[in-house]
Amino acid sequence: MKETTTSPRLLLAQRVAAILILLGIWWLVIASGAVPSMLPGVSQILAAIGKAFVSAAFWGALGKTLLAALSGWAIAAVVGVVAGLVIGSINFLDRSTSILVDFGRSFPVLALMPVVIMLLGSNARMEIVVVALSCLWPVLVQTVYGARRQEAAVSDTVAVFRIPPLLRFRRVLLPSALPFIATGVRISASVALLIAVGVEVISQAPGIGRQITLMQQEQRWDMAFAYLFFTGMVGWAMAAVLQRFENRLLIWKRQEND
Amino acid sequence: MTSATLTAAQPRAARKVRRAGGPNTGTRILQSTWLVFVVLAAWWVFSARSTNFFIPSLEQILTVLVRDLGNGVIMAGALYSLANLFVGLLVAAALGIGFGLLLGEVGWLCRIVDPIIHFFRSVPQAALVPMIIGVFGLGQGPKMGTIAFACLWPILLNTIDGVLGVEPTIRKFSKVYRIPRGLHFRKVVLPAALPQIVAGVRVALPIGITVMVVSEMFASTEGLGFYILNSSATFQVPETWAGALLVGVVGYIISMLFILAERRMLRWYYASGSQ
Repeated sequence: MKETTTSPRLLLAQRVAAILILLGIWWLVIASGAVPSMLPGVSQILAAIGKAFVSAAFWGALGKTLLAALSGWAIAAVVGVVAGLVIGSINFLDRSTSILVDFGRSFPVLALMPVVIMLLGSNARMEIVVVALSCLWPVLVQTVYGARRQEAAVSDTVAVFRIPPLLRFRRVLLPSALPFIATGVRISASVALLIAVGVEVISQAPGIGRQITLMQQEQRWDMAFAYLFFTGMVGWAMAAVLQRFENRLLIWKRQEND
Repeated sequence: MTSATLTAAQPRAARKVRRAGGPNTGTRILQSTWLVFVVLAAWWVFSARSTNFFIPSLEQILTVLVRDLGNGVIMAGALYSLANLFVGLLVAAALGIGFGLLLGEVGWLCRIVDPIIHFFRSVPQAALVPMIIGVFGLGQGPKMGTIAFACLWPILLNTIDGVLGVEPTIRKFSKVYRIPRGLHFRKVVLPAALPQIVAGVRVALPIGITVMVVSEMFASTEGLGFYILNSSATFQVPETWAGALLVGVVGYIISMLFILAERRMLRWYYASGSQ
């Protein structure tokens, strides 16, 4: 194909141009007055982004959101991997839990948030619980998939050598399910951020989502857009870091495939 | 119904099925359902003994659920919510598949806008709710728009992936036979990318349901999310539980229906064994 010969520098220039065109369209739409007048222009948003970047309130809110998202995510990852390996490697359990797991993964956990608020109050602990409950399912489902795929030869070998269960769990089951676990953990990271922000938008829990709601209520649209911009950057950075980490972690698998 | 009849009825039903179907059907059904009944029974028994005001008994929750299902309060809310969800998803699918086909075919354009797409995809969709509803008001349209915007990105990205995954040989064939553009899109690229596209919609579905609930809890006077939030704000505890449970059941039913539709639509794909 012809396009593949594009030099990286030209591509970068084109990408920057595309972003500038997008901003230009935004500017034109605002200038033409076709949309509600409270929408801020490009320059105002850029100024607000700069202002938010140096404000302590922004970093505090971001820290709170990330803390809640990451703790809930970590809890879900540990619980999901352990439970998933157990369920996936024992046939009987796998069949017995399939309906419950299907139900759980399609349950919009945010709908449960008012219940969790009644039990725990509107605070960071509640947020972590809701995030963990939401992140659990992608990890669990992927780990079960991974643990199911035991090759017959491998399990025969494990049986013949009488590998103790704990060692088998750690050295056979976990590595063979690892590619699937990595996918589940990566998916649930974006779920964690989505749910953490969602919880903050509709409850009083402090964080970025709460800030966006407050800014919107105060009619500070430029700041609200700046915060939105940063949530996007955080989500993007998180996904990029995890993808890199996954590639590195699973380097042995790709070599095997080559 | 009490928990005793719930658990006792099960083996009898299973035995009947076994006689009718194959030798293993009954045991299989029993194996896949017994835990559900155990969990429900445990919930029933333990919640009946609960003295916590915020943990009502399952009996109470179900009574409230049946009452509000009967008098139409929940039905009206569910219709409102589901209408938002379906219109939003439909718009997202139309835009996502359309632009996805275009971007997948036109490689240079795809590479240029790639960072923009990834940025929008990374914005936690729930953060858009106060923005879009704040700008465009409390009506049904902005809620549909939020859902559509949230669901667009997974569908778009999966469609692009699907189009890029079309086998080069098939592509060359289409070129050699000078298949017209429209026909090429409709009959060659679209079917080949369909499994990926459907997978994208499957990913978008739970995101859409989540955004639907958030948008109604954020600002609304209708819908399932409003029912839950309003109940909790007025300390109608069983109603809150009932609403949350119902949204879960609705989510489960929608995703099961989707899987059924997917199996039907992609029958040729599963039959070809090329997954």
